[in-house]
Amino acid sequence: MAETTGQLSGGTASAPGARSMTGASIILVLAFAPQLIELMIALAGVVAPMSGRGPLQVISAHASALSIAIPSLAQQYAAGGKTSLSSDVLLALIYTYPLIAVAVFTFMVRPRAPQDYFGGVVLMAIALFALWASSDLQGMRGFSFGAGTAPRMFGLLLLGLGAAVAVIGVVTPGAQLATYHWRGPLFVSLAILTFAVAIRPLGLLVVGLASFLIAAIGSQETRWREALIVGVCLTGGCALLFPYVLGLPMPLLPRFLLQ
Amino acid sequence: MSWCGRALSVGWLPVIAGLLAGVGVATTPAKAQNYPTRSITMIVPFAAGGPTDVIARIVTGHMAQTLGQSIIIENVVGAGGTTATARAARATNDGYTLITGHMGTHAAAVPLYPNLAYHPERDFEPVALLAGTPILILARKDFAPKDTKEFVDYVKANTEKVNAAHAGVGSVSHVSCQLLNSILDVKPVGVPFNGTGPAMNALVGGQVDYMCDQIVNAVPQINAGTIKAYAIATPERNPALPNVPTTTEAGLPKFQAQAWNAIFAPKGTPAPIIAKLNAAAAKALDDEGVRKRLLELGSVIPGAADRTPEALAALVKAEVAKWTAVLKPAS
Amino acid sequence: MDLFANLAHGFAVALSPINLLMCLIGALVGTLVGVLPGIGTIATVAMLLPITFGLPPVGALIMLAGIYYGAQYGGSTTSILVNIPGEATSVVTALDGFQMAKQGRAGPALAIAAIGSFFAGCVATVLIAILGAPLTKLALAFGPAEYFSLMVLGLIFAVVLAKGSVLKAIAMIVLGLLLSMVGSDIETGVSRMAFNIPELADGLGFATVAMGVFGFAEIIRNLDAGAGMDRDLVQKKITGLMPTRKDMKDSTPAILRGTVLGSILGILPGGGAVIASFAAYTLEKKLAKDPSRFGRGAIEGVAAPESANNAAAQTSFIPLLTLGIPPNAVMALMVGAMTIHGIVPGPQVMQKQPDLVWGMIASMWIGNLMLIIINLPLVGIWVRLLRVPYRLMFPSIVIFCAIGIYSVNNAPVDVVLAGAFGLVGYWLIKHDFEPAPLLLGMVLGPLMEENLRRALLISRGDWSVFLTRPVSAILLAIAMGLLVLAVLPTLRRKRDEVFVESEG
Repeated sequence: MAETTGQLSGGTASAPGARSMTGASIILVLAFAPQLIELMIALAGVVAPMSGRGPLQVISAHASALSIAIPSLAQQYAAGGKTSLSSDVLLALIYTYPLIAVAVFTFMVRPRAPQDYFGGVVLMAIALFALWASSDLQGMRGFSFGAGTAPRMFGLLLLGLGAAVAVIGVVTPGAQLATYHWRGPLFVSLAILTFAVAIRPLGLLVVGLASFLIAAIGSQETRWREALIVGVCLTGGCALLFPYVLGLPMPLLPRFLLQ
Repeated sequence: MSWCGRALSVGWLPVIAGLLAGVGVATTPAKAQNYPTRSITMIVPFAAGGPTDVIARIVTGHMAQTLGQSIIIENVVGAGGTTATARAARATNDGYTLITGHMGTHAAAVPLYPNLAYHPERDFEPVALLAGTPILILARKDFAPKDTKEFVDYVKANTEKVNAAHAGVGSVSHVSCQLLNSILDVKPVGVPFNGTGPAMNALVGGQVDYMCDQIVNAVPQINAGTIKAYAIATPERNPALPNVPTTTEAGLPKFQAQAWNAIFAPKGTPAPIIAKLNAAAAKALDDEGVRKRLLELGSVIPGAADRTPEALAALVKAEVAKWTAVLKPAS
Repeated sequence: MDLFANLAHGFAVALSPINLLMCLIGALVGTLVGVLPGIGTIATVAMLLPITFGLPPVGALIMLAGIYYGAQYGGSTTSILVNIPGEATSVVTALDGFQMAKQGRAGPALAIAAIGSFFAGCVATVLIAILGAPLTKLALAFGPAEYFSLMVLGLIFAVVLAKGSVLKAIAMIVLGLLLSMVGSDIETGVSRMAFNIPELADGLGFATVAMGVFGFAEIIRNLDAGAGMDRDLVQKKITGLMPTRKDMKDSTPAILRGTVLGSILGILPGGGAVIASFAAYTLEKKLAKDPSRFGRGAIEGVAAPESANNAAAQTSFIPLLTLGIPPNAVMALMVGAMTIHGIVPGPQVMQKQPDLVWGMIASMWIGNLMLIIINLPLVGIWVRLLRVPYRLMFPSIVIFCAIGIYSVNNAPVDVVLAGAFGLVGYWLIKHDFEPAPLLLGMVLGPLMEENLRRALLISRGDWSVFLTRPVSAILLAIAMGLLVLAVLPTLRRKRDEVFVESEG
């Protein structure tokens, strides 16, 4: 979901007339976001090996799933629902195709409240994604709920509500899209990511200061000498407070220094 | 993200291993002889204060005196204890990381979790059996059947109507009730709760009909008459509940279940270390103070024959087979 | 009377030097834990539990109880100052508390939170002492059907407290419900929407999502160009530290009503305290002459939920003290502490362990007194913190939040998730969606689903149980009524708008 918001931020500075064009293309990207994200993870997997499919496998699997989705649905229908569809085909059917339809729709209309319209569309995307993610779970068994009943129920409900928000955004006049900025989100996220990745190998003393300084780049007002001093003091304070006063187990020093 | 963290941490390992290789190999026998030279970490895969945690704390408290080093308990919770157990299986096998597993993590988890990241028999060295917590058949106080015999008949006759509570998938109360149901050959509706507290609340409140649970939680409620107990699933009566008959006495001899707790070490931990730990555990179980506290909890302390690592290995093997037979058809 | 003898006995126990010290330590640690974002009471009590094994049982439990209700005092602090609710119960406090802080009224907000909490704590303590045993029946009368209806009512509260569009608020609740589905299924143990990420196997943590959509999102938004001006203004505007006479007059009824609601709902295990704070806020908003002030810095919007959550924190001890059944995770840890000391709490704990029970009840009153003495002077310090330039403040908050989230499970993935939810929160702000209903949906979602499923299992799929059981039917009726009240004005306004437009 983080990724989808990141992509949305592209569609801000365009003129109102061209809005639906930009909006439509962003929704199109959103429609393929899960496939693209899996590809990115697979590419990262080339550098740091891990389990999962390789990049080429990912591309070929999704490409074929996207192209055979409709025929295989028809085939399944003909077979009386006996054959089961692969997860990739289901992704195409449940998530990607409906969103492509929404993108086409976006291209045709000019929403009177873009803020609500695009908000509603993203909620629909989340709902569709959840419907796909819970499609492998068991449904109702007699009177008792299956694992998938509630997620699907809420997924459908959110789909409906998202659509309602979007439709109202098309029909009734309302707010324009707010402007997105990239500097704050980027550096705050980067600081958080740095903390997460490095806390175990590098320890709190190194990572605390590094994250502090990275986050500080996010503001134009930062004065570096001041930030450095406060960062050092704060990291030191945290290194005393968390492990010693509160007794939370936390690595302080880089692992290679300890060994 | 986790894989980045893992990649980095793995990246350091060869370097460290390389640095320590020469020293490490030479000192291994000496290490086992002097063991332990620093504090030992005991992973408990459940929250502090739970039955397994309490037993582990009572026994390791005494073991630490014998071994001359402190034993630090680390409670790691999640996914029915399997997260922590998987971590213990991957830990360095030098005797400084141990785990107190129980019936769930080291037996019932095998059929319950198809993607289990460890196998209790293959990935661990059994160290010592600590204590077992007997399991009781409990019912709400106004449940119609008066004794076990009536209970069996009633449940068989009214399978469609009765509700059995349990404390969540994989919990002791869940798996032991599955065992009871398979013996009775009934499939009543199982009502899941989030932990023994809410399940007990529902039983006291009369929302559900019966459940199987460990003795620790149940004794005060039974004594106060807010719930009733039909039988205890051990060969002998328990001093904490002298009036509750055993399942054998009550005519249900096949229902034998105990939530046993035992210490395990990662596979490949040197035998002398295992022997030392086993001896320390045995000494703890013979200590008057330890025995008194364990008995207060209603626990059953294993006899000398059941305390060896070999006996524990056999127990794990038998339990894995037993629970697989009970739980596989169910799931 | 017996009660006074018992209370006198309790005070004699609680006033012994060692127990006073334990109470003070508990209150201090609780305040600290509440103030630090991310670090929850469950994690802290679990962490400190082993330390208490060396202490006498009464002292240990007094300390653990102190941490529990002390965190309720501290939890409001970050909600008000930086818009980061540390506990589910202080989400609502952030709505008006943070707005007050923006208007330079952080001092009165913090002070009224402490005063309300103190009053509620005192009343609830007396309630436990007098009515503990009869009130237990309430906890037992609540079966799965009643809980489900209560959860529905709780979600309706979230709709009512929304400032803007009702439709969007409902969408946010459903999004929260959907997020709460991540994790293991209660009945089958199957992993749902977890994508084989082990850290998601037990679901998304409340702290992770709350830090993200409230804390990180607020920071990111403040970094937007132009928002900096606002911050400087806040620093110049800071006025008095203590509530004015008018503030006290406005808050008094809110505190009283919040205390009553909190005391009743707190007895219900699981979610009672959270619903109490939302219910108290909703009630104030509905009773207010001018509901539009809510969400824009109304002092009642701080006083009511803070009183309610503290009252609930106290009365949630009732099931533990009278039945021996722990109503929530923190209490379960306390039962663990008792077990290790050889005390297994049960229905007779009041008769068998009078020292423990009455000592704890008395210590709660003493603890509340200590907490208000600790917290009122702290108000000045907290408000001074707001004068720190934002360019230094925000990286510090980022670090504190990151450490806090990491410490909950020692899981770096949780920190990454919180960051991702920060971006989600930024997106929510940009599209005018409110995060509070989302969080409530997330907290109540699992409880709602579990109880719905339990109720239907027990009734063999008969949905009419929700209407045939009287308590459940009443709760659902209230929920329907509230929903109609919430939707009607919007419909009317819409119609007026359409009308105006067609005329013009």
